Amino acid sequence: MSGANPGLAYHDTPPLSAPLRFFLTAPLFGLAAGLVLLADGELLVSRWTPGALALVHLFAAGFMLQAMLGALLQILPVVAGASVPAPLRIAGLTHVLLGLGAASLAIGLGLGQPLAIVAGGALLVGGLGIFLLASVIGLARAAHAQGASRTPRDLRLALSALAIATGLGLLLAFVIGRGMSLPLALPTLVDLHAVWAWMGWGGLLLAATSWVVVPMFQITPAYPAGFTRYWAPATLLSLVLWSLSMSVGLGWGVMLFGTALLVCAGAFAAQTLGLQRRTRRSTPDAPFRAFRLSMLSLLASLVALLLAALHDAPQWPVLAGVLILHGTFAGAISAMLYKIVPFLAWLNLTQAGVRAPNMKKLLPDRPARLQLRLHGIALGALVLAVLVPVLTPVAGLLVAAEFGWLLVNLSRAVLAWHRAAQP
Amino acid sequence: MNTRTVDARGLEPPEPFERAMEAIADLAPGGEFILLLDRMPQPLLRMLDRDGYRHDARFREDGAVEIRIGRP
Repeated sequence: MSGANPGLAYHDTPPLSAPLRFFLTAPLFGLAAGLVLLADGELLVSRWTPGALALVHLFAAGFMLQAMLGALLQILPVVAGASVPAPLRIAGLTHVLLGLGAASLAIGLGLGQPLAIVAGGALLVGGLGIFLLASVIGLARAAHAQGASRTPRDLRLALSALAIATGLGLLLAFVIGRGMSLPLALPTLVDLHAVWAWMGWGGLLLAATSWVVVPMFQITPAYPAGFTRYWAPATLLSLVLWSLSMSVGLGWGVMLFGTALLVCAGAFAAQTLGLQRRTRRSTPDAPFRAFRLSMLSLLASLVALLLAALHDAPQWPVLAGVLILHGTFAGAISAMLYKIVPFLAWLNLTQAGVRAPNMKKLLPDRPARLQLRLHGIALGALVLAVLVPVLTPVAGLLVAAEFGWLLVNLSRAVLAWHRAAQP
Repeated sequence: MNTRTVDARGLEPPEPFERAMEAIADLAPGGEFILLLDRMPQPLLRMLDRDGYRHDARFREDGAVEIRIGRP
């Protein structure tokens, strides 16, 4: 800011520690997931093993939820003009409740401890309830964002889906942990919870974020306006109709609307891959390639889901889970973290009036590239381990190394920020 | 007098933001410039509002965002 020019006081984004605490905790859950795989060689033989249930929740309620809520804290004000009230307090409280909740739930499911399952569910509901309430207040106060972006609307839809997935999860915790009886069969309730969490919350949030982040960081053309206008409503409508069909046992409805959901997911992946092919980047960087692998993994997961619907063999749902949770989400989230964390550090220094180092100095390319390569190798090992269970501990070791390295790389960026912020 | 245009399209963050801030810092009282971006920069618009800068943003036919920014 020059002396003659009053300049701009840009202090609108939440304090850096609010999203960072989520981003630095997330890899710990991925690391724990790797160690669980390392310890239990039989874990991937069926989606119903206690270890598999623990693993899914370490990934989904641990790694993914931490990273996604941290990103939302940042995205809501920037993209939707919605500042979460008291961001540090909300972040602190939510972060602790979610961390304890995910750990307790995973332990309860893995070791068959009903009390830990109910406690984990209650802690997660408490943390998510606070976060959702703060987001709704922020969104209600926000001026209607200008422009053609569908991101603010789709963030609202994703948060609605999160509320439904959370409610279904709490019901499940009481059914499994306290023996509560419901008119729905347990596998139906599990499928409803899983698909609302995966496609409703995860899918809508990934898409809403991609509408902004893919063109911005990967230098691609924007998603076509017609596509972003209809994608999220079509997905949510399919999800609602599929859920109703599941609930009343309407076979043709389950097949029709389930297929519609797969088509929506496939269309998102294909559209994103198409945009990536039209990038103006001369050489794709590592996060760009990791995002491409994430979209290819999403397409492969749809094939696995189709196979799971056609055959009873237990490995197809497990393969779909691996491709969705590790391949699609862990890949996309890692790629986004490598862009978001150094950018936030840079922004924080600039806001503080410090001459910020180049983003590449905050987080160099090479360690990120090598870590993302390890992610690809770990994904390959996980896929092989589904088909050849004896390889499960090897896959676990690779997954643990992948997330440990992610934590080291992100911590390195935070340390570089800290050093640059010192007077 | 020709109004200066700062074209910050097709750049990876934080470069568009840096270019905008440099151009704003260079503004003389009463001066203005046109900023071209790929998307509507909500945080920048709020900063401009808060600090009393004039701004007029519109979407162009080609999808780009054109913002005329003026220092009071």
